[in-house]
Amino acid sequence: MTTTNSPLLKVSGLKKYFPVGGGFLRKPHNFIHAVDDLNFEIPSGGSMGLVGESGCGKTTTGKLLVRLYEPTDGHILIQDEQGNLEDIAYRKGASMKAFRRRVQMIFQDPYESLNPRRTIYDTVAEPLAVQGIGNISEREERVATLLERVGLTPATSFMFRFPHELSGGQRQRIAIARALVVNPSFIVADEPTSMLDVSIRTGVMNLMMELAAEMNVSYLYITHDLAVARYMCDTIGVMYLGKIVEQAPTEELLHQPQHPYTRALISAVPIPDPRIKRQVIDIKGGISAPIDPPPHCRFYARCPLADETCRDRPHPPLQDKGNGHLVACYKV
Amino acid sequence: MSKETPILAVENLVMHYTTRKGDVSAIDGVTFSLEKGHSLGLVGESGCGKTSIAFSLMRLLPDNAKIKQGSIFIDGEDIITMSYDQLLKFRWRKIAMVFQAAMNALNPVYTVGDQIVEALDLHDMIKNKAEAEERVAELFELVGLDPALMHRYPHEFSGGMRQRAVIAMALSCEPDIIIADEPTTALDVIVQDRILREMKKIQQKLGMSMIYISHDIAVIAEVSDHIGVMYAGRMAELASGVDIFERPLHPYTYALMRAFPSIKGEKHDLTTLPGEPPDLLYPPTGCRFHPRCPFATDICKEKQPPFENVGGEHYVACWHPMEVHNDHH
Ligand SMILES: Nc1ncnc2c1ncn2[C@@H]1O[C@H](COP(=O)(O)OP(=O)(O)OP(=O)(O)O)[C@@H](O)[C@H]1O
Ligand SMILES: Nc1ncnc2c1ncn2[C@@H]1O[C@H](COP(=O)(O)OP(=O)(O)O)[C@@H](O)[C@H]1O
Ligand code: SF4
Ligand SMILES: [Mg+2]
Ligand SMILES: [Mg+2]
Repeated sequence: MTTTNSPLLKVSGLKKYFPVGGGFLRKPHNFIHAVDDLNFEIPSGGSMGLVGESGCGKTTTGKLLVRLYEPTDGHILIQDEQGNLEDIAYRKGASMKAFRRRVQMIFQDPYESLNPRRTIYDTVAEPLAVQGIGNISEREERVATLLERVGLTPATSFMFRFPHELSGGQRQRIAIARALVVNPSFIVADEPTSMLDVSIRTGVMNLMMELAAEMNVSYLYITHDLAVARYMCDTIGVMYLGKIVEQAPTEELLHQPQHPYTRALISAVPIPDPRIKRQVIDIKGGISAPIDPPPHCRFYARCPLADETCRDRPHPPLQDKGNGHLVACYKV
Repeated sequence: MSKETPILAVENLVMHYTTRKGDVSAIDGVTFSLEKGHSLGLVGESGCGKTSIAFSLMRLLPDNAKIKQGSIFIDGEDIITMSYDQLLKFRWRKIAMVFQAAMNALNPVYTVGDQIVEALDLHDMIKNKAEAEERVAELFELVGLDPALMHRYPHEFSGGMRQRAVIAMALSCEPDIIIADEPTTALDVIVQDRILREMKKIQQKLGMSMIYISHDIAVIAEVSDHIGVMYAGRMAELASGVDIFERPLHPYTYALMRAFPSIKGEKHDLTTLPGEPPDLLYPPTGCRFHPRCPFATDICKEKQPPFENVGGEHYVACWHPMEVHNDHH
């Protein structure tokens, strides 16, 4: 393995706007700013957690990174096999296919994400077939090895079964095997364990971490659960209405949160121990959809610290407060 | 030590669902009680029987459910042997329930206020329209909703607001006991926190007794003074919240707690359990946890461990409770 100083993934100015209210023969006049100017990097072998409330843009970000969506604007730079950064934001055709080998995604719902009419073998081998990797017996061997590695043993007893014969936990193991079968360098995992029960969830989380370390895969882990992000990731980015409002190394973020939204979010997380009492930081109102949001700070309407400077200036940029702790707020 | 009779006492409850494939043993000998003004949290993974217990307490079980054994005393009266007429007086007035995913169950064609009025009317809680509005306004304020919103439709409410409305509905007949089945599971954490705090406040203000049901031990830890840990249709362990955390005795409780990550305290590895919870069509013999238990021995496979008091208010059903292992190692 060669270590380079350049990041594995570098995102800049990334945007995705969805039209709303348009229709047949009618031009949309409004846009949801689902992802609005994201800038971050993930080092080779690193892991970043993306947290935030429902609708803040986590899944949209994930789908942009694996190019299930084309960005409205911005760049997605990712290392190629030689370690050079290439921009895949607007790739199409054959050069897109080569990229697909390096970036994979795991989805939230293990009941929807696997094709019910395909055997486990076909499901896991599909990316190999699409990429034209190996012959039949090589593919079988690769799939069998991975199935065993994700804990579905003996592989031969699983290969020719269908998803409906498996439990949720087993299905997520299949999804992990499928994502890893082409030896990607980067994976987006979108709430891969949020539908699983605890006693099963932990196994899937540990498996994912082990395999990522073993195969030197970096990942973006999307979750609404800060405790899960803490367990899974080196750094955490907190999203609010399409923007990353704070980003820092995991322990730093949890113990020294600076953005008023992060502070409120952390204070609201229930603690699995009745002996610990939380300090409550309440914020007013609720989360909405960022339809043509006003130019000032996205958090302005709910922020306990806001004043005129926040209202009269554009959304604050992420500023480095030292130690890679980035905060987007005029008041901290 | 003299004690008031508990507001709720469940004794050796056994309930099956009849299906084409056979009987699902959803509740198998569950015993617990709830003191007036206290809160009990039932925690366990999906399918362990939490909702089944809630529906049994409400006597709102589906047609294929059959209570085989046991009693449910509410305020001293057994609702299992109770006549239907008598039951109607109990349900919603003595014991009410906030259903799992209830926020999606509001009727979209009526205003939220009208739906509460209907509930009030059904139980003869109001005399006229003016009184009804006043009462709805009161209930809205109690759950932290602006009374001006009572004439709005459910789709105009956010998920958190709908959940509050459903709680207001459960409160409408001033019940002694409220069962909240996964009351915040579909909500974001900031909204969840607000609603849980609100519910705790209301409970204290009205002196109600609460049963919280959740798969999330963190939520349960926040709101309950007693915790019952369920596994595969049985109560594995029951104790005060602090005892459950400081002195977990059942290997499943222990594993469950080590499986939840937390944002507080030292970061620690999370333990995993082998296998998956059993299908209750074919429950394991003996202790239902034995196929996954690291301490299981022959007796665990053969005989069901009794649910025993181990001092104070601490109960556990295990042949080899954890403290023994802790002492040895
Ligand atoms: N295909 C789409 N068309 C239009 N709007 C969309 C589309 N996908 C997402 N949105 C909107 O973009 C915003 C961000 O959605 P996204 O799914 O990325 O959120 P999320 O953070 O993943 O939420 P959750 O935690 O609920 O999964 C939301 O307001 C959503 O309604
Ligand atoms: N109406 C029903 N008919 C048959 N089986 C059921 C029915 N409702 C629940 N069950 C089964 O009973 C068991 C307990 O379910 P439930 O009480 O819903 O658990 P929980 O609320 O803890 O998730 C499960 O095995 C479930 O599949
Ligand atoms: S009775 Fe046996 S199998 Fe059951 S929890 Fe105790 S030690 Fe484990
Ligand atoms: Mg999402
Ligand atoms: Mg349930």
